[in-house]
Amino acid sequence: MEKYWNPEIECMSREDMKKLQDERLVAQVKHVYDNVKYYRDLMDKKGVKPEDIKDTEDLHKLPFLSKADLRDAYPYGLLAKPLSDCVRIHSTSGTTGKRVVAFYTQNDIDMWDNCVARAITAAGGTKDDVCQIAYGFGLFTGGAGLNGGSHKVGCLTVPMSSGNTDRQITFMQDLGATILCCTPSYAAYIGETVHEMGLTPDDLKLKAGIFGAEPWTEEMRRSIEKSLGLKAYDIYGLTETSGPGVAFECSEQTGMHINEDNFIPEIIDPETGEVLPEGEVGELVFTSITKEAFPLLRYRTRDLCVLSRKKCSCGRTLIKMAKPMGRSDDMMIIRGVNVFPSQIETVLIEQGYSPNYIIEVDRVNNSDTLDISVEMNPEQFSDKVKDMQKQERALADAMKLMIGINPKVHLVSPKSITRSEGKAVRVIDKRKLHD
Amino acid sequence: MANVKQISVFVDNKPNQAAGAMRVIKENGINLRALSLADTADFGIVRFIANDTDKTVDILKAAGYAVNVTEVVAISIPDTPGQLSRVLDALGNDNVNVEYMYSFLGTSDRAVSFVIRVDDNAHASDVLTKNGIIQLTENDIAEM
Repeated sequence: MEKYWNPEIECMSREDMKKLQDERLVAQVKHVYDNVKYYRDLMDKKGVKPEDIKDTEDLHKLPFLSKADLRDAYPYGLLAKPLSDCVRIHSTSGTTGKRVVAFYTQNDIDMWDNCVARAITAAGGTKDDVCQIAYGFGLFTGGAGLNGGSHKVGCLTVPMSSGNTDRQITFMQDLGATILCCTPSYAAYIGETVHEMGLTPDDLKLKAGIFGAEPWTEEMRRSIEKSLGLKAYDIYGLTETSGPGVAFECSEQTGMHINEDNFIPEIIDPETGEVLPEGEVGELVFTSITKEAFPLLRYRTRDLCVLSRKKCSCGRTLIKMAKPMGRSDDMMIIRGVNVFPSQIETVLIEQGYSPNYIIEVDRVNNSDTLDISVEMNPEQFSDKVKDMQKQERALADAMKLMIGINPKVHLVSPKSITRSEGKAVRVIDKRKLHD
Repeated sequence: MANVKQISVFVDNKPNQAAGAMRVIKENGINLRALSLADTADFGIVRFIANDTDKTVDILKAAGYAVNVTEVVAISIPDTPGQLSRVLDALGNDNVNVEYMYSFLGTSDRAVSFVIRVDDNAHASDVLTKNGIIQLTENDIAEM
């Protein structure tokens, strides 16, 4: 039997949901216009007044916000509540420039915890579960987000944070953790370590994993499910909108339900900004309609994906987003072709290699080069150089089929590529150094 | 049939990689009889014959190395001009394809020893016997 945390919202009729969104959007636009000068200026410049937004059909009239706006407005420019009403901040990892800081009132935290509680419930979690949180704690939203949701559901919460993998596994065994929450790359590493310690999934009690904060593939999901003996659920979110829990997966595992009572999604053409019809691939845009302190309207996530209102077997009516194909930031353009690290990962797992790899892109004589270091598979090790080179060529051929360009594959020693305990860094783009 | 077990280890083509594997071997008091290193731009394959194959494989695997064991043919021939050519002619005439080979020192200064890697050991062994070429057993090598 499918369980819901907020059945009245999660299974609400489309008409009622739209009515709820309409009301919340109108109020939110007014709140933002009155309190956020930065966005008021953008609206004035576009000639849009709060009165012009009467329901969700008018959403497209509002200006977009992008990461650049968040940097411009750093740190307080998009704050919509006095600091005295705020109780917490979180921040992005800041790997691609200046950090983005997001503010939360207590209501914002409660809303966020509630969204994550829906995700944990959808993964089968109840107050009888032991939920081990191996996401990093701190400014990163992963640890705090799952921690809050787990408390709300009433799970026995184990706030491990990431790292110290042997101890992670010992705790899992000793306390009988049933749910594991972390990044998928860390889950894969934990799985690998479990086997190295001579344990099998039967030595653990895990039944579900809630994994997110970085793009991962279906192949990686199956491999984690096998190595840890659990069902792996995807969770989506970003610091700009709150954190993990903006969308979550149900038992059907075919995309994530968006908590659209709090976040209205749109798909736009990333070039023109035009709204695309349901079912088309484009950039995901979110409008927060309940957040108080840091309410972003039409925030461009740079994530490319598809939305679907197809009926879901879980009974939820919340709109679904497909697993993002990758953040447009992660997309590499190599010799004019769009390449996502997730495509490389798919090939590696299909061919029986570990999903640990490093992609190096460079430019030599005005032509892009793509080098991929892959850990060799000890099962396939041969004493003949020619056999090993055949493996490199076979991998390069399979990748060429997937991405359309020919990479150079380099086999390296098993376990020689650094394992990630948080978000994995897989791409080194040396072209940027030359620009 | 007198096949000899050869151990191969995968090493990255970076400083100190082969040294790491050798350190593990040294620390466990294992003696190597023969060794060769094949290298490509990306990686190397260290191949060798040790005085205790099983133990060597276990310790290298425990240290995280990719290891494989293959049977090879080892021969001992007089240290005079034309001897190696005679061996290779014999093998070639009977369609034995040599993947790679390397020489190693024995105890006699009048003979040299070779490890020869072929696909069909039994066939190669027959050809060598037919041509009167001395093959070494694991015991022979261990006693060197």
